Amino acid sequence: MRSLLFILLFTVPIPAVAQESEPLSVDVKGFVDTYHALRSESDYDWMSSRSRVRGEVTISKGGAGAFVSANLVYNSILKERSGLQVREAYTWWGNDHWDIRAGRQIITWGVADGLRVTDIISPMDYTEFLAQDYDDIRIPVGGLRLRYLRDRWNLEVVAVPVASFFELPVEPNNPWSVVPDDLPLPVQADMGTAPATKLENMEFGARFSSFLNGIDFSLCALRTWNKMPVFTSEVQAGTILMTGQYRRMTMVGADVSLPVGQFVIRGEGAQYFDEAQSPAAGTDIPCSGTANALLGIDWYAGSDWNLSAQYSYKYIEDYKPAMSGKQHTHMGTFRISKSLLNNTLSLQSFAYMDLTDGGIYNRLSADYAMNDQMHLMLGYDLFHADKGMFRTYAHNSEYWLKLKYNF
Amino acid sequence: MKKIKTMKARMILTALAGLMTMTAGAQTLTGRDIMQRAKDVPDGDSRYSEMELTLIKKNGDKRERKVVSWSIDEGKDKKTLMFFTYPGDVNGTGFLTWDYDDISKDDDKWLYLPAMKKTRRISGSSSKTDYFMGTDFTYNDMGSRNIDEDTHTLLREEDRDGFKCWVIESVPVDKREIYSRKVTWIRQDCCVAVYVEFYDKLDKLHRKLTISDIKQVQGYWTKSHMEMQNVQTGHSTVIVMKNPEYDLKVDKSMFTVAKLEKGL
Repeated sequence: MRSLLFILLFTVPIPAVAQESEPLSVDVKGFVDTYHALRSESDYDWMSSRSRVRGEVTISKGGAGAFVSANLVYNSILKERSGLQVREAYTWWGNDHWDIRAGRQIITWGVADGLRVTDIISPMDYTEFLAQDYDDIRIPVGGLRLRYLRDRWNLEVVAVPVASFFELPVEPNNPWSVVPDDLPLPVQADMGTAPATKLENMEFGARFSSFLNGIDFSLCALRTWNKMPVFTSEVQAGTILMTGQYRRMTMVGADVSLPVGQFVIRGEGAQYFDEAQSPAAGTDIPCSGTANALLGIDWYAGSDWNLSAQYSYKYIEDYKPAMSGKQHTHMGTFRISKSLLNNTLSLQSFAYMDLTDGGIYNRLSADYAMNDQMHLMLGYDLFHADKGMFRTYAHNSEYWLKLKYNF
Repeated sequence: MKKIKTMKARMILTALAGLMTMTAGAQTLTGRDIMQRAKDVPDGDSRYSEMELTLIKKNGDKRERKVVSWSIDEGKDKKTLMFFTYPGDVNGTGFLTWDYDDISKDDDKWLYLPAMKKTRRISGSSSKTDYFMGTDFTYNDMGSRNIDEDTHTLLREEDRDGFKCWVIESVPVDKREIYSRKVTWIRQDCCVAVYVEFYDKLDKLHRKLTISDIKQVQGYWTKSHMEMQNVQTGHSTVIVMKNPEYDLKVDKSMFTVAKLEKGL
């Protein structure tokens, strides 16, 4: 492990322009955790069982530095997921008025919580659907981020030569597999071939953000890809072959946060141009413009109660019968949380609601801080759906336990 | 040489402040006048400190939090940037506050969560009455408060810990506050509070704050040790201020969302 960290640290160069007057600072932190989940209905089998060590190292000197984060994982159910996984590895350089960050990094845009409207640069890892920590769900991208920083506004430009794409579980041994199991023929799915790493396939975009008294807002534009593949399907030798496909698209969007007394109102809107749509069986990939919007409200109710609700809507323009998705889709989320015992116990319920087809995924959790370093977390993931996006997981409700030691 | 001159100037200012206070003692002072003087005690145009917060349960179990913070004055308003450095699960979490003196204007607040790689705009009004990260101090206790958010009455003068003090009762104007009134003992020699009692809505003693190890750093009065005890739950919090510095050369760009996201 030490030798691997050594390699990681010294293959990420710190710019030679680091200021000589400031001392070199090295910060090491991380955690060890173990997570286990048991299906709450027959067959009562293990849905997840994994342990890991997370290491995060930051080296800085003056206005320059480097950051590396990596996981060493043992996954007893998805053996292929065991091993060392480098998360982020980037270097930065800058001062109070501009900075540049280069390397493998997570880029987040927008103000939505758990839903994606403008936050579409770093894709999601759905290997275990949403049962992983949020920072593990986001997949870093290999790119460059340049920011010009003023007191009340920033301008951010990104260029991503090495795009990353969604990871979806298609292996039959994964309880979270997205491959349908109720079709008349066996299904074989693969994620398809991601676009080649070449200049013309580069993602690029910009975001202007302003932070003012009583309001934050941003405007953004991005030339990107459909990071979530759409699948074409064909029948070969009695098997349905599903293959992921990726197409170019452009996003133009905006977001706003508006505090009003005890509430914060959040909104995002984006137009996607030429977004790839799921095709009907045996047809080509149709592309169409889509309008995407989100409205959220957070209520800081006092006494450590927090409530949050979001509604999102997607509309496919020029809807064609060759599209297998629906023209109008609606999603909602609802979160309620409460801290007790001087913040040693946190209770939370976070629900995703499929408002188009009816269906819910609700994660209930209790997080108890046993001491400054150790947290014990218990929870229940409830799935209920007869159709729609959660139907695949209708029998995946589970109890889970997590023990986490921070260092 | 320049530093010595600056120190001398500050000592003279402090002496003048003390003289003014003594002179004022001879006049008829209202509770508001005294609270205003306490608020106006010089604390530099900018400041830095490291705070160690120890949370103590009734059974004696302890938990720790460590925070570094910078703040700068902009007229009567104040901007503060704060990062947690311990324990590991909150290390890197940052708060940025633009605290406005104008009562009618809500503060601007942002929270940066490093695990999410995201800054959230949070309510500037409601969280004031919440307890700060599980401690016995509310956000209001930690920040500055406009004098006119309370109605102040001078109750009496009495000695406390060997210092002559004014005793002031403050009743919040906004009934959403978690206390019905608070009583503050303010040292007459330096206009610094040394003891505060907070009473709940039923007018029962709820919390008491004891401030000790008050000393001058760079010529500014500094509260180095604060203990807030919740007498109803038996829980208490001790804040020890370390390495305070005043009149730092910090740029306004330090108190921005960009800096919050950059971290320490």
